Amino acid sequence: DGGVIKFGHDNKTDPFENPAHACTAVFSNLVSAGTNGAVTVEVFGSNQLGTAAEHVQQVRDGILQATLTSTGALASYYPRIDVLNLPFAFANNEATYKVFDGDFGKTLAKDIEDTLGDVVVLGFPDTGGFFAVTNSKHKISELQDFDGIRVRTMTLPSHQKIMQALGAEAYPLAWGEVYSGLQTGVIDGQMNPVPIISFANFAEVQKYMTLTNHLFSPYTFMINRAFYEGLSDSERATVRSAAENCVTASRGLSRIIEASDRGLAGLKDKIEVTALTAEQRAAMAAATQPVFEAHVSEDLDAKAAELLALFKTAVQGANADSYLN
Amino acid sequence: MLVAIAFVALILFGMPIGFAIGMAGVVGLIEMGGTQFLAIGPSKIFNGLNIFPFLAMPFFILAGEIMNDIGITDRLVKLANVLVGRFRGGLAHTNMLASVFFAGLTGSATADAAAFGRTLVPAMVKEGYKRDYACAVTAAGSIIGPTIPPSGLMVVYGSLMGVSIAGLFSAGVLPGLAICVICMAVIAIGGKRENLPKSMRGATPREIWDTFVSSLTALTMPVIILGGILGGIVTPTEAASIAVAYAMFIGIFVYRTLTLRSFYGMLVRTARITGVIFVIIAFAGILGWWMSFERIPQAIASAVLGISDNRYAVIAIIICLLLVVGMVMDITAILIILGPVLVPLTEQVGLEPIHAGIIFVLALNISLMTPPVGACLFVLSSVTGEKLERISIKLFPFLIAEIVILFVFAFWEDAALLLPRYLGFAG
Amino acid sequence: MRNWAGKASGRINAAVEAIVAALMLLLVLDVWLGVMDRYFFHWQLPWPEELARYLMIWAAMLAVSSGISRREHIGLTAFLHKLPKPIRRALLIAMDLLSLALFAYVLWYGVPFANGGATRQAMIFGASLRPFYAAIPAAAAVASVQIALVLLRDLGTHIEEIPEEGLL
Ligand code: NA
Ligand code: NA
Repeated sequence: DGGVIKFGHDNKTDPFENPAHACTAVFSNLVSAGTNGAVTVEVFGSNQLGTAAEHVQQVRDGILQATLTSTGALASYYPRIDVLNLPFAFANNEATYKVFDGDFGKTLAKDIEDTLGDVVVLGFPDTGGFFAVTNSKHKISELQDFDGIRVRTMTLPSHQKIMQALGAEAYPLAWGEVYSGLQTGVIDGQMNPVPIISFANFAEVQKYMTLTNHLFSPYTFMINRAFYEGLSDSERATVRSAAENCVTASRGLSRIIEASDRGLAGLKDKIEVTALTAEQRAAMAAATQPVFEAHVSEDLDAKAAELLALFKTAVQGANADSYLN
Repeated sequence: MLVAIAFVALILFGMPIGFAIGMAGVVGLIEMGGTQFLAIGPSKIFNGLNIFPFLAMPFFILAGEIMNDIGITDRLVKLANVLVGRFRGGLAHTNMLASVFFAGLTGSATADAAAFGRTLVPAMVKEGYKRDYACAVTAAGSIIGPTIPPSGLMVVYGSLMGVSIAGLFSAGVLPGLAICVICMAVIAIGGKRENLPKSMRGATPREIWDTFVSSLTALTMPVIILGGILGGIVTPTEAASIAVAYAMFIGIFVYRTLTLRSFYGMLVRTARITGVIFVIIAFAGILGWWMSFERIPQAIASAVLGISDNRYAVIAIIICLLLVVGMVMDITAILIILGPVLVPLTEQVGLEPIHAGIIFVLALNISLMTPPVGACLFVLSSVTGEKLERISIKLFPFLIAEIVILFVFAFWEDAALLLPRYLGFAG
Repeated sequence: MRNWAGKASGRINAAVEAIVAALMLLLVLDVWLGVMDRYFFHWQLPWPEELARYLMIWAAMLAVSSGISRREHIGLTAFLHKLPKPIRRALLIAMDLLSLALFAYVLWYGVPFANGGATRQAMIFGASLRPFYAAIPAAAAVASVQIALVLLRDLGTHIEEIPEEGLL
């Protein structure tokens, strides 16, 4: 029984620096304490053992036991994860917690497990919150403002289509070229969660940031199935509970980073920040959601359409729900 | 241990260095036991190369091939010669200055080495320089490319470590110029001993003007590349493709010397040179993965702090470590593997993040030309046919001079942070 | 036998180089298209960046075999030149055999790696990753064949002709 969980992720190995390592640090501590050292966790951060997509393969092959993977990296193994890119879905952060901790989270985890066959999904930690759009042309505060802005996206068809539906032009560009691309004007803007915008110093080369909150893209926390099933019942229970605390830690640190000078508070001095009104956001949702749904029904399979329907219902429920009320 | 022994033995016995790195990695995987570890090799090879900015390498090699073939290089060399050729070692000085100029267009030392290895080295040999010396000068100058902005390594460093990339860029300017100056001093001091050639008489203003006019098409090339980047048309990587386009345009429409047959040969040669370099990067991916998995970098880091926690001692140890590891590994791999371990050490001894960054970038760039595994040496050896060990011998004085510059900027914070502070990137 | 191996190596290499040249040309055109698209056409093509990486890997990895055929992969020879000729030749043959083992290893594990790509989706063309991953086993196969052929061709004699001073 017991053993070592080799855990790969793609962020710095400082628990106060990023949600990924906060999550793994909490997980590591609770697992070794809860099993009295029978199960220990060794964390390999900073992409030491490969890209996020390679981590997934290494977990499947039993080389690593666990990883946190981004939706972009998971998409090549499990294309239906794209469903989570439904734009302008969530009203606030709490809604994301409710959706991924609730029935939808369970359904999604089960579907990933069934599709891959060799992993168990233990949760959906926060990667740093909602996406914002930055650019160097002009302030974006309503739908029309996106016209003609050339935005860098990942090589992800859904992200490209969402930007195009807003009226922007979308070009995939290698991550390593984004900063200089923004600096010289090869592209006008980009989209990412606020901590990444801060971390990558995009404020140095961008003038305007709009808190569009149009995407929420969690990590998927997965563990090798054979390893997991080889644990004793009580060890599995400990791992499950540690995973829940890992997810909670990732959310807590994400909110703290947003509030600190490494997040919005720090960016406000360097870049003009705009928040959207409810009406502006509704207009953007109306412009993008039909395009996204057409993309899901055309480019993904029938099960993806079902999953999307479930996702929308779960999100609506979570948006309507209010805390302790 | 077994891995290190295998690596050293294979290299001594003449196995190509890329393959020896691969064998060492595979020995490591076997040592771990279990076929699932052996199965990781192909994935590390593929993913180690699956990086868009690497494109700059084949493109600058191809542009260099074309420029050479259609005679752009000859014209540039002629111009350089009428300007500074009257001094002893004039073309070697020109090589250095050209590297500074070229640095504004390229972000990688290997691209610089490839371009000048294809163009200036043959020109220098034609002028009577020994080929190993010409290669050494080019290698020494090639690290100016990624030191003066733009710099691919700084972009990687900045995004990995969360340090301002613009700040790093600004910190690179002074060391880049200092390297040029000290290398020119090395050329001047060693000029007599190396018996460097010089032309017999100075050129007349008329000759200078005529040469200038005839090399205008060549001189426009950097302007077009720079304009392409600064004008927001291309990214620094794509700029290499503009270099190819411009060289082809001149070859087909202006000089009319570029033929389909010769172009075919250039494409093949470019791919072959790229293959020789990429196989090293690819196999280094396997070795690097094994090292990370066995936590060798962390062992190194704790050993460093075990020696001393004095600021200057730690800086010196880190520099030596980077230079030594840089002898046997790809520098991007080092940055990815050792960066997260060593950068926190610099924080512990109170180094400014930008200052630490420029130390890392300089040390890694210098390790690009330390044998046995220096990428710039490989590129030069591969494009010129000169033996690696012969280049290394001639390179030695330049290497020492550049390491001196590295230590000056590592220990003298005010100099290293002069520009970043002036521009508001550092406190 | 040595002659035959040399000729076979040359023929295979000529074919490989033709493919590699075509891939390089496509690579150049692909990157140009990406630039032109962003600046003139505004088609917002999703694939030039990703395709460029795959073309680069295919071209460079295939070209590895070409470098083997021409003995362009660089190693250190200083130590070998200090050894008596028979030992030197025996060592060089041994190094060729080990190199062959290395590429046979890459081929052996490269096939399941490429097949594993079949169930993974590339972000472009809706294609699977198999045709792109196949670059690794394919290149390893050609490299293995070339090492075997040049081993027979040279039998450890290939570092004996020292290039002349200033030759270029
Ligand atoms: Na540069
Ligand atoms: Na140079």
